[in-house]
Amino acid sequence: MKRQIGNRTEINSTTDNIAISVRNLYKSFNLPTEQSSGLKQAIFNRLRGVKGYTEQKVLKDINFKIKKGEFVGIIGRNGSGKSTLLKILAGIYYPQKGDIIINGNLIPFIELGVGFNPELTGRENVYLNGALLGFSNEEMDTMYDDIWEFAELKQFQDQKLKNYSSGMQVRLAFSIAIRAHGNILLLDEVLAVGDAAFQQKCNDYFRSLKDQKQTVILVTHSMENVTKFCTRAILIESGKIIQDGDPNKVSAAYTKMLAN
Amino acid sequence: MYISMEIPLVLNRKNRILLKELTKTDFKLRYQGSVLGYLWALLRPLMMFAILYIVFAKLLKIGGEIPHYPVYLLCGTTMWSFFTECTSQGIQAVVARGDLLRKISFPKYIVVVSATLTAVINMLINVAVIIIFALINGVTPNWSWFLIIPAILELYLLSLGIAFLLGSINVKYRDITSIWDVFVQALFYAIPIIYPVSMVAETSTSAAKIILLNPIAQAIQDIRFGLITHDAVTTWNYVASPAVIIPIVITLSVLVCGSLTFRKKSKFFAEEV
Repeated sequence: MKRQIGNRTEINSTTDNIAISVRNLYKSFNLPTEQSSGLKQAIFNRLRGVKGYTEQKVLKDINFKIKKGEFVGIIGRNGSGKSTLLKILAGIYYPQKGDIIINGNLIPFIELGVGFNPELTGRENVYLNGALLGFSNEEMDTMYDDIWEFAELKQFQDQKLKNYSSGMQVRLAFSIAIRAHGNILLLDEVLAVGDAAFQQKCNDYFRSLKDQKQTVILVTHSMENVTKFCTRAILIESGKIIQDGDPNKVSAAYTKMLAN
Repeated sequence: MYISMEIPLVLNRKNRILLKELTKTDFKLRYQGSVLGYLWALLRPLMMFAILYIVFAKLLKIGGEIPHYPVYLLCGTTMWSFFTECTSQGIQAVVARGDLLRKISFPKYIVVVSATLTAVINMLINVAVIIIFALINGVTPNWSWFLIIPAILELYLLSLGIAFLLGSINVKYRDITSIWDVFVQALFYAIPIIYPVSMVAETSTSAAKIILLNPIAQAIQDIRFGLITHDAVTTWNYVASPAVIIPIVITLSVLVCGSLTFRKKSKFFAEEV
């Protein structure tokens, strides 16, 4: 079972204007065909000479280059391969074929509040989540108060996380996440959190990212956000890029595609 | 072309922060919600010791000829608990932390090491207790106490190797966890922890020698020799042949083999877990 593997390289070049370059990217998953996966099934399959899995091609020949300072929205239907693409860019999945070059420090937000544990207090969770973003204890100390200030949850900091409402948890997670400063941000549908007032704060944050010319890749289903924040949009369908360019045009094409 | 992807396997600043925080969390969560909390790290091995002591030393009257037998027994059971805790936590680490692996990108060995470090902390606390017990029992401090450092290190590296090797298979075949549990039960009786080596040697000296070629037995006997009594039978003073290096060879092979397997398989953990 020798599996092919592509290249993902991280460089740090200030002269190069390209933040992310993806060439001939392919990815497929081996999905188990049997319900039970275990040693017994594996031995049976080996004896019978069956593979025990089907290959599902998720990404087929993806090519694009993202320049520094671009705010790129990736849109597409459920199961079109958007999240897989994001995870490959983040280095969580390995590409099967192709070359990826990441230029600069990349920070992925596949989900907010990664590693949050309900049994720990808010305070402990802040430090844990911070460590997962690469912050040391000392660095977290300096931004600790700001995080709670932004989340507006200061009075709950020593409560266990399981006593937070889900909205409160997301607000806390978001407040930590925005502290992370990288050259490239990968965001998977994390815009819509909290109530209307908190939503406004989030919008301000994304507006500021755009104004600062931060390189952002955003996977979203909200065409409103695509047209509001993005400088470019990429439409993916069945693992292929079918449109790439002006956010207004691409989101119009997507809306039309959904209608059919 | 493969080289470029494997270079980040170093303990850089980011990975150190991660390792520290994950270990801290593991340790905190282990005793979360219990009244006695961290005390359980001490109480569990002491209780196991009490049971073994009553059954084997008092009822079955084993080990009478060994000086300081109670501490000798405690030392063995503590190191054995360390080995079992290290391996079982390490093997399950990747699956237990699957949630993290699917969401952020970091060297996967960190979750295994952090899981085993909790066992290391527990073990170190218990070594302190053994030393106190030893002093109460009339063991005099000796330079040979430092011998336990390489022996403990060897035991840890062996556990880590097993955790890497079986942990990477466990991602796909969860049966490994159950198989290992049973295997460890059997292994316990193949190591002179509750019975002295001399008991085996009475029936067959070659059996005793083979038993001592097990790296776990060798490490435990070395620790007892160093810490408790120089009467403890060790591999190097009992197996007087070039075969004495076998335990070291086994340990290093398991570690190398485990690390390589883990490194190869870890690329697909995020997809498979």
